Amino acid sequence: MERTGEARLIVEVKGLGKSFGAHKVLDGVDFSMRAGEVVAVIGPSGSGKSTLLRCLNQLEQHDEGLIQICGIGMQAGLPVPRKDMNDLRRSAGMVFQSFNLFPHMTVLRNISLPQERVLGRSRAQADERSRALLERVGLAGKADQYPARCSGGQQQRIAIARALALDPRIMLFDEPTSALDPEIGLEVLAVMQELAEAGMSMIVVTHEMHFAETVSDRVILMAEGRILEEGPSAEVMRRPKTARAQQFLHAVLNR
Amino acid sequence: MNATLSFWAESLPSLISGMVVSLEVTAAALAIGVPLGLVAALLVQSTVRPLRWVTLAVVEIGRGAPALILLQLAYYGLPYSGLQLSSMGSAIAALSWTTCAYTSEIIRAGLQAVPRGQSEAAMTLGLSRLDALRFVIVPQGMRVAAPALLGFAILMLQASSLCFAIALPELLSKAQLIGTMTFRYMEILLLAALLYAAICIPATLLVAAIERRLGKHAA
Repeated sequence: MERTGEARLIVEVKGLGKSFGAHKVLDGVDFSMRAGEVVAVIGPSGSGKSTLLRCLNQLEQHDEGLIQICGIGMQAGLPVPRKDMNDLRRSAGMVFQSFNLFPHMTVLRNISLPQERVLGRSRAQADERSRALLERVGLAGKADQYPARCSGGQQQRIAIARALALDPRIMLFDEPTSALDPEIGLEVLAVMQELAEAGMSMIVVTHEMHFAETVSDRVILMAEGRILEEGPSAEVMRRPKTARAQQFLHAVLNR
Repeated sequence: MNATLSFWAESLPSLISGMVVSLEVTAAALAIGVPLGLVAALLVQSTVRPLRWVTLAVVEIGRGAPALILLQLAYYGLPYSGLQLSSMGSAIAALSWTTCAYTSEIIRAGLQAVPRGQSEAAMTLGLSRLDALRFVIVPQGMRVAAPALLGFAILMLQASSLCFAIALPELLSKAQLIGTMTFRYMEILLLAALLYAAICIPATLLVAAIERRLGKHAA
């Protein structure tokens, strides 16, 4: 997949604002990314990282600004037409901190059901794709288990497979390893790295500084609902310009 | 003692036939009332206000009014509005209403116990609202509600004895009838109680077993 300046923008956000009551969680956020890019969003807790991600796929409605994602435009205050919403959900895959697998279905059903209901694939087609994806995330043997029988790291890899099964154009990761032991988190990060290398567009909200620095093309550092710094990973992580960014990075990198 | 046993043996066929009626009316009330309870549980969360209000009224009347009054309304009251139901018909109508009202609250609590992340996952996967309910939320919510629903079913079998007030030939009516003819109330009512217990106690144990089984795949 191309990563040149010519590649078209897959996400463009202008003047994004979001409040919960009197608390302004996002305040004038602007950023864009090209198809095939991997962007890590880092920053202290409560900086609005997750809310930014949840606005992108409209789990939260934004109050201000414009979001364009995969060619779908969403202006604050205007309802998103049903067709656009369906396109959005089809184009953007989401991975949650808490996995959110469906506990009453086998691993295979978790991955196949959305393909059948959303893309209209037959059961056989869906199962074939599901098994291929399980293979890809290293869990071919788990197809007929229930999620509760899988470890956290396995559940998160299954959740990634479930999102990938719908052939998304962009993957949104909301702190995918935060609920996992550091060692178990590595197996999830490995799957994500492989995905990045395959050219998937990805936005990753994370506390994994090593992942942000080595896998992502670009880092966005947020604090108090604003983007503090943004640029090539090594630059932001090693030579932050603002004092707040220096303070945050000093704290997390020297733990 | 022997006299009692032979009296019981004599009366048993009649009581069993009453028990069958009790089970029939309970089964019918549950078969109609529980699905309606699910519908009501979904409708009280509707964003369409009139729909929500009507549902709320149905549920609150069904919970607020004693089942005995609903039974008598259906049997003695409805004919005044031109609708004449048999005692079986009235019993099923009234007990279905009670079942719908109570189970809607049990089911609503079950649905609300499903973590928010489940509907968010369904949403981000692109499932429609209806599909999310059908495949993700309702199956999990019903699992949460199942033990309470089964417990309610047992209470309902006992509540079906109220139908003796509208001349339904169920277990208590039969026992009462034999009592009036023989004046052996103590013995016949004791046998009726034993018959209720013979169904309710194993059913309670079964509910506990099902509860353990359902817990197996919980997150």
